[in-house]
Amino acid sequence: MLYENNLFISHFYFIGQFILLSAFFKSLYKTKTQKTIANWILIIGVSVLAVQYVIDPNVFFRFNLFEIFITSFLIIIMAAIHLYNLLSEEKVFYYCTIGILLYLSGSTILFFVGNLTAILSEEYQFLPWTLNAVLVVIYHLFILFEWRQSFYLKKIRINNENKPTL
Amino acid sequence: MKINQLYEREIITIILYTSLFFIIIAIGLIVFFYFSRKKIIQKELEKKDLEIKHQRQQLRAILITQEAERKRIAQDLHDDISSKLNIVSLNSHLLTRSGLSITDISEVTTNIIDMTNKALQSTRRIAHDLLPPVLDKFGLHAGIQELCSEFNNSRSVVVTYKNNIDFNEMGKDKCLHLFRIIQELINNSIRHGKASSISLLFDYIEGTKTCKYSDDGIGFDTNNSKNLNGLGLKNIQSRVDFLEGTLAIHSKVGGGVNVILHF
Repeated sequence: MLYENNLFISHFYFIGQFILLSAFFKSLYKTKTQKTIANWILIIGVSVLAVQYVIDPNVFFRFNLFEIFITSFLIIIMAAIHLYNLLSEEKVFYYCTIGILLYLSGSTILFFVGNLTAILSEEYQFLPWTLNAVLVVIYHLFILFEWRQSFYLKKIRINNENKPTL
Repeated sequence: MKINQLYEREIITIILYTSLFFIIIAIGLIVFFYFSRKKIIQKELEKKDLEIKHQRQQLRAILITQEAERKRIAQDLHDDISSKLNIVSLNSHLLTRSGLSITDISEVTTNIIDMTNKALQSTRRIAHDLLPPVLDKFGLHAGIQELCSEFNNSRSVVVTYKNNIDFNEMGKDKCLHLFRIIQELINNSIRHGKASSISLLFDYIEGTKTCKYSDDGIGFDTNNSKNLNGLGLKNIQSRVDFLEGTLAIHSKVGGGVNVILHF
């Protein structure tokens, strides 16, 4: 079996996810220090990866383990900071953050072995991917639940409050 | 081939377990945050409850003081002014009678003038007690000076007063709170502490305005909550809250009272 190598697309996924989620958490942070930390995390993450690609362009056509590690790790740190902020506050994107934390912790390992699965026999080849797919579904269920709690139900509640009582 | 398969199975198991391991760690983290959140919110609720309780107590103290003050004013008006005006009224009626000699008329008139003057003095005194005009016109420094000289004139106590702070930059209501605190403290020292000398010092200490108050009275036990929850002290505490300041009271039985107020 020899398919065309499309692994370079994964880099857009990882780096895109990293940039978008760090911007997301930055917008959730309230203090100036945390916003600066989020900025630095983004800058350092992207520049370290840029340096790696300059030094070793070959990783572009494989699963880049370092990339997976650094993007997931930094996002997990930002998610944890956000959960810490929520300790004494009202829940803001709480379930969404939990979903991110769960999905990233599980899927990072599955992506780590991505290069390995290419050489496994057909029997086991798709097992990590099936597992990852399950995690993705769980992740999106959390996001759905977040939408229900923060947007759908809130809207209903606001509408009910505005309704004139008979 | 078989070895290879065993090998693969081993790798897959490791992958699964590692993945599971990290998911469990993530769940642990989430559970930890969840319970911490619950605990913190509970603590905050308890704090708020305490605050509300404290505020209610303060409100009660304010109401009680208000009633006491009303009673005092009513008594002052009744005893000092009403009685005198009564006499004035009676004397005025006397004047309407016919057949009075000139000496009688002049006696009654003198009486009326005398009583009216006394009633006027009483009115002034009552108004002065309620809000010393000096405080309003010349500021807190003059107000406290007058207060001290009044107590010094009574000869039962010696009040020494020193001030290095310019009170003019403070708001008028803040000055009034401060004045009432000082008044209450001196009254307490004389009434409960039987103090014979009191010292009062205003100065800047480490950049904050500070009032040091001390007397040589009999003092009280600060560990006894009964002493600290009296109406007077509660009132002082309310006023300190208004000033956004801090109050520290040091005292022991037989050792006088030391009060340090930062504001």
